[in-house]
Amino acid sequence: MQKQLNVLICDDSALIRKKLKNILEVCKCNSIEEAEDGHAAIQKAKETKPDLIFMDIVMPGKDGMEALEEIMKENPAMKVVMASSAGTNSYLKQALDLGAYDFIQKPITLEAITAIIEKVIKGESAHV
Amino acid sequence: MFSQYFGHYLLNNGLITAQQLKTALDLQKTTHVKFGVIAVDEGLLTSKQVEEIHEKQKQLDKRFGEIAVELGYLSNEQVEIMLSSQKKNHLLLAQAVVDQNYMTIEEFTKALNEYKRVHSLSDEKFEAIKSGDIDAIVGSLVQMNHTEKEGYAEYVSLFVKNIVRFIDDEVYVEASEANNVEAEWLVSQEITGEEPLWTAIAADEKVFLEIASAFAEEELTDADELAQASVSEFLNLHNGIFLVNMSNKGTELEMKPQKVDHASAVSVSKENALCVSVQTSKGSFQLLLSYLPESVVVFEKPKENQTV
Repeated sequence: MQKQLNVLICDDSALIRKKLKNILEVCKCNSIEEAEDGHAAIQKAKETKPDLIFMDIVMPGKDGMEALEEIMKENPAMKVVMASSAGTNSYLKQALDLGAYDFIQKPITLEAITAIIEKVIKGESAHV
Repeated sequence: MFSQYFGHYLLNNGLITAQQLKTALDLQKTTHVKFGVIAVDEGLLTSKQVEEIHEKQKQLDKRFGEIAVELGYLSNEQVEIMLSSQKKNHLLLAQAVVDQNYMTIEEFTKALNEYKRVHSLSDEKFEAIKSGDIDAIVGSLVQMNHTEKEGYAEYVSLFVKNIVRFIDDEVYVEASEANNVEAEWLVSQEITGEEPLWTAIAADEKVFLEIASAFAEEELTDADELAQASVSEFLNLHNGIFLVNMSNKGTELEMKPQKVDHASAVSVSKENALCVSVQTSKGSFQLLLSYLPESVVVFEKPKENQTV
């Protein structure tokens, strides 16, 4: 049987959380937790130990890059996928330097999310 | 796309009424452009020759092209070329306007030439605009009104493309002179870095909900968290794409989180800001831009003026 993932979504946009959740449900994820900013994401990552985190970058309070850094310090094996509309060279480099598993450019699509879920399930390293 | 621009030019110059424009724009979707209109547009026939052919058509059961060839006005090759031009967008508007007797072919042609002259368009640029090249359209509009603000053209052009992509494929933009804008809903986002830019969408609640519904791909009837998130995300997505384009050109910029203000007014400086009136089939709203984010003042509207 295919492994079912526990996923954490971190995005300040209620719309993105809703859309991503709908997609993840289609992908048959086991449990889907939500966080509205970096602080909440760090807390939930500690509590729920998800298999995968989707993290927005530009958020009020603690942004996605700061949250990524803290989460990776706490658990270097965590798979954090940065999801942003601003896939600029500097954001991309910063995310990968901080240990992000992958980077997806918004708008999010079913195809992009499915591809990531499949990679995680297969245990591949996405960006190598 | 060009029909929207030229149609508004006709409207702004009192050549047709708003209702006529609306009817013509609706009609053009189902209109089949007639040969006479194309031939005059291409400079192959004069309007007098077209009238002559139309008169002959009343007597002969022949096609326009056949008669034109018989009269020696057109070659068979020219008729072939015209057949392929029948779907030209601006001509659909011309046909709709002429069919409805709002204007004659001569009046329409005169207005088109005047439009070209007023906008200082080269033949090459005019061709690009006629074929719906968004960069050319926006470039000419922004440039015409604000020579010193050419830098905004790229941003506005991308914005129009994203409106077409996510919100509505009928969009018309023009620079407006306003420097104080009241907004029932104001969604703003600041871009920081070596070329900072303050960006905002100002809309009344009806249009705000239209934008929100289109972007969320579901009908939203209340300006609640989801609707606010939708318009915010549209601006964020657009700005993100702008940042990627700039990054590819070697300019690295960052964005701050978006802000949503209700019942507010915004004041921008005329010297460094640009207000763009964005008209879509879902309604009109303002796109506000300023190179000097610190000069932008957003304040709450006095209570008595607030829309409840």
